[in-house]
Amino acid sequence: MKDVRYFAPTEMAEATQLLARYGDGAAVLAGGTDLVPQLNYYERHPEAIVFIGNLNLGYVKEDDSKLVIGAGTTLAELLASDLVVAHFGILADAISELGTVAIRTTATIGGNIANASPAADTVPPLLVMDADLVLVGPDGERTVALQDFFTGPGETILDTGELISEIHVPLLNGGTSFKKVGMRKAQSCAIAAVAVRIEMDGDTCTDARVALGSMAPTPLRCTTAEDLLKGETLDADLVARCAEAAVGQTKPIDDQRASAWYRIKAGKALIAKALSEAAGLGM
Amino acid sequence: MKETLSFVLNGSPVDVLAAPTETLLDLLREQLGVTGPKRGCDEGDCGTCTVLLDGQPVRSCLTIALTVAGKEITTVEGLADGRKLHPLQKAFHERGAFQCGFCTPGMLMSAKALLDGNPNPTRREIVDHMSGNLCRCGSYEEVIEAIQAVANGEYKE
Ligand code: FES
Ligand code: FES
Repeated sequence: MKDVRYFAPTEMAEATQLLARYGDGAAVLAGGTDLVPQLNYYERHPEAIVFIGNLNLGYVKEDDSKLVIGAGTTLAELLASDLVVAHFGILADAISELGTVAIRTTATIGGNIANASPAADTVPPLLVMDADLVLVGPDGERTVALQDFFTGPGETILDTGELISEIHVPLLNGGTSFKKVGMRKAQSCAIAAVAVRIEMDGDTCTDARVALGSMAPTPLRCTTAEDLLKGETLDADLVARCAEAAVGQTKPIDDQRASAWYRIKAGKALIAKALSEAAGLGM
Repeated sequence: MKETLSFVLNGSPVDVLAAPTETLLDLLREQLGVTGPKRGCDEGDCGTCTVLLDGQPVRSCLTIALTVAGKEITTVEGLADGRKLHPLQKAFHERGAFQCGFCTPGMLMSAKALLDGNPNPTRREIVDHMSGNLCRCGSYEEVIEAIQAVANGEYKE
């Protein structure tokens, strides 16, 4: 077997240089909950493992009407954060149904995003809050919108040597809701997940975000449904039309967890439920 | 390439060499002969490999051994005080909270983490917390009752 190298840098610059040096041969290790099963089952053969757990990327701060979340913050830390619970309840909702206690103690939010699974549960809540990612590479840092980050299952715009260092979440107004359906409540990968955020002026929707997980090759913003909502009076009929429009934008697959047919049915129901809840319609 | 690794295992310092892809579970079982943590799935699903890392429950099968440098690991071997069983062990034993026992090391460590952080959990909290520990013999009800009994003070140190 090829000799694998292990690095545990304590400086970001060292980490990005190592990632740049090993390129595709580098495996980034944070909490390990996605990477280590691939190593255990010989599905991945990295030349170097770069452990980023010593870079001090675990924190949640409030700064200038946004939350600044270090990419190395564990899901358990986020769930225990008063700032997250107070300002970003749907992230806490999504995390409380993600994995299980002993997964959340190590899994990080940066890892959940960077692995680019279509089923990443933290992503739909972040999408409806218009979150940005700070990416750091050997040549400096850049900020990108989360919705431009994913290019396919497991594929992102991260360049060789780049890491996610922070997630910036504007504290936007509006009612929010997160809904997910899986095989069982605990520890199950989503069959379909939806997050919504609606700003209302009386009965009228002034702005809206609808995001879906597990319904397309990447987590998805449903702009057609959002456009239907803006400026309209929200009622049961509009909710139904939006749910229809949103699933119309998806490309779900058949897999061992569910059929595409079921995903469309379940996704539509979840969207309707989440929209009603976020808008305060008693449906 | 193997690297040196020092950590504290059940209260005693350990110095070993570990390969970059070696998990904590591999290290414990194959190198150190600490076979309490079991290998059920090797991918984080079953929970029988659960150990405490600085008091927090983690999957040893998902933990790269080298990342525990300087940390404290507690396995089921570290629960009893000499020949005196931990209250959870007593409760599991007396209440038959297992049949084959394969899931028990992980169940015990998860239950310990729960009670350390929340000495009086509700039934719902116990069920939620233990949802990542699978038992093929279906001892779930007895496990919940054993944890409740310990929380109620029925088994003292
Ligand atoms: S062996 Fe670690 S969770 Fe199954
Ligand atoms: S007692 Fe047999 S698996 Fe739990």
